[in-house]
Amino acid sequence: MEVQQSLTVCVTGAAGQIAYSFIPLLLSGQVFGQVKINLRLLDIPKMETALKGVVMEIEDCAYPLIGDIQTGSNPKELFQNCDLIVFLGGFPRLPGMERKDLLQKNANIFKEQGEALQEVGKEDVKCVVVANPANTNCLILSRYATKIPRQNFTCLTRLDQNRAYAQVALTLNKPLNSLKNIIIWGNHSTTQYPSIEHATVEGQSFVLPDQGQFIERIQKRGAEVLNARGNSSVFSAANAVKDHIKDWYNGREDTLLSLGVLSNGEYGVQSGLCFSYPIRCLGAFKYEIVGNLQLSDFSKQKLKVTEEELIQEQGLAESI
Amino acid sequence: MQKYLQKALTNQFTRASIAHFGQSLKPPVRVAITGAAGQIGYSLIFRVASGEMLGPNQPVILHLIDLPFAMTALNGVAMEIQDCAFPLVQGIVATDNQTVGFKDVNYALLVGAKPRGPGMERGDLLKDNGKIFTETGKYINDHASRDIKVVVVGNPCNTNCLILANQIKDIPKENFTAMTRLDHNRAQYQLADKLGVHSSDIRKIAIFGNHSPTMVPYIDQMTAKNHKATVDQQWVTQTFIPSVQQRGAEIIKARKLSSAASAGNAAMNHITTWVNGTAEGDYTSMAIPSDGSYGVPKGLIFSFPVTVKNGKYSIVQGLPISPFYQGLLDKTIKELVDERNAVDHLLK
Repeated sequence: MEVQQSLTVCVTGAAGQIAYSFIPLLLSGQVFGQVKINLRLLDIPKMETALKGVVMEIEDCAYPLIGDIQTGSNPKELFQNCDLIVFLGGFPRLPGMERKDLLQKNANIFKEQGEALQEVGKEDVKCVVVANPANTNCLILSRYATKIPRQNFTCLTRLDQNRAYAQVALTLNKPLNSLKNIIIWGNHSTTQYPSIEHATVEGQSFVLPDQGQFIERIQKRGAEVLNARGNSSVFSAANAVKDHIKDWYNGREDTLLSLGVLSNGEYGVQSGLCFSYPIRCLGAFKYEIVGNLQLSDFSKQKLKVTEEELIQEQGLAESI
Repeated sequence: MQKYLQKALTNQFTRASIAHFGQSLKPPVRVAITGAAGQIGYSLIFRVASGEMLGPNQPVILHLIDLPFAMTALNGVAMEIQDCAFPLVQGIVATDNQTVGFKDVNYALLVGAKPRGPGMERGDLLKDNGKIFTETGKYINDHASRDIKVVVVGNPCNTNCLILANQIKDIPKENFTAMTRLDHNRAQYQLADKLGVHSSDIRKIAIFGNHSPTMVPYIDQMTAKNHKATVDQQWVTQTFIPSVQQRGAEIIKARKLSSAASAGNAAMNHITTWVNGTAEGDYTSMAIPSDGSYGVPKGLIFSFPVTVKNGKYSIVQGLPISPFYQGLLDKTIKELVDERNAVDHLLK
């Protein structure tokens, strides 16, 4: 089959673990259908040789949908002509590192990349920030790439959402696709609020036997997997990135989804923060924040806590 | 903990479900992956679970098998599969017990094998893996579905497959194959690059022989964009064949890790093509029990060019074998015969 259209997609942190799992998904046709994908793979200079190995393996997979591939360490070169940029690369948390240091080191990276986007990026480029602290990194990115529409900046909370669906399905002993509208609110961190307040199972609202335990389990799932695997949740993260992009691009009629997006003040959240909200994906990368859900006092309290953390993070990050 | 996990994960998904776009799904099939806690397993399992291997209407029940020491890590993998909320996954069995692991299984990708340790001779590698695959052969014979399709990936894959198949009495021997698809895909890319076309434009190439340095990339009938294409012989002997043979080592050198993603990809491709068939006017490479074609001794597990239709493969007959290719074929045949002799005590 002749593949007509093409998209140019940049992946940062391209020599890393999540990229290793994500790239086959991106090239499988599951995200954009029969569209050729031109790849731009960005990583730090130290990873240049490893990146060559990644490219060799992509070649050895003989993907029908692969277009051309460019690698490098300069975002001003690689961000040119990109339709979508997946920000997997960030500064990892090293032993003994303070949260403040993590935030500031990453803020520097995302400032540089935001400036590159501003200079060479396509006007309508779409951004998915995954590297943690994802929400604040996304906020910084958007601050320095002001020519790009605000709604083009998203961060990943789909992993938390997928985890929440899995736990609810397990607890209720129901199939996954009987569940709708489980929403992750706020920061992709331990203050996130996984909410079933507006969720349904087979069209009916429901309660969980232990709501507190459910919330805590989702918040701490990353650590749970780390303890078992001896390594972080790589593939499920890559899969969540795939789901985020796929639904953002194609639209979803049957359920609301969780994406971290720039707040316009919905639900009283400080405008400009990158906050995970209930989103209706309309197709062609268009979405709307569903801003009129009734929230219980319990929910409002939870939103306040996660918003507080995001305000704090913003303060620390912006002191660079 | 492990029993609870198995039970809980299977209960969760026992109801049939309709995919959210309203298409009805086929009854689930059981897919077993050994070495499931390892690196190739990690690349492979999730792509299978997402529906890439058998299609978006085929639910799967995953049987993830590894050694006892890997069970904690394997349970971590099972957690991650749950965390992907895959609509097609209707159950997960994570186990070190091969009776449970292979029960009613329809597809098995045998990635697990004993790796080559420092100072290990090829003979030792053959013997150690011989024990593993003898055992696995018995479990598959006794517990798997009678229509199971098996691909052996763990090396030395051809001879491991031979040993495994030797234990099979109640399932057709043709269902037991080994993987040379990675070499095929690598060759396809190298040729495409040389000819300036996309790898999907290269057709009618094949790998003959052993998945080892003696493998034979056969390109005599190659087409690029459906036109006969040739490349100069010197490039073939001095660059192309060594590139394909050494690609694995080259990737290890660059990544400091082995080529897990492309190996997992090839294992998946092998099964997908076996199920869906080859494209019109093309063939693929599978290591299968020889029927004597091309002078290859009967019973050796040997990679041939095959077409696949309705779930069955057939060797492409009558391809011209020049003296150059005959020399290469003789070498790889000899190597496989020697390997078979080295494990003779395991074959009845």
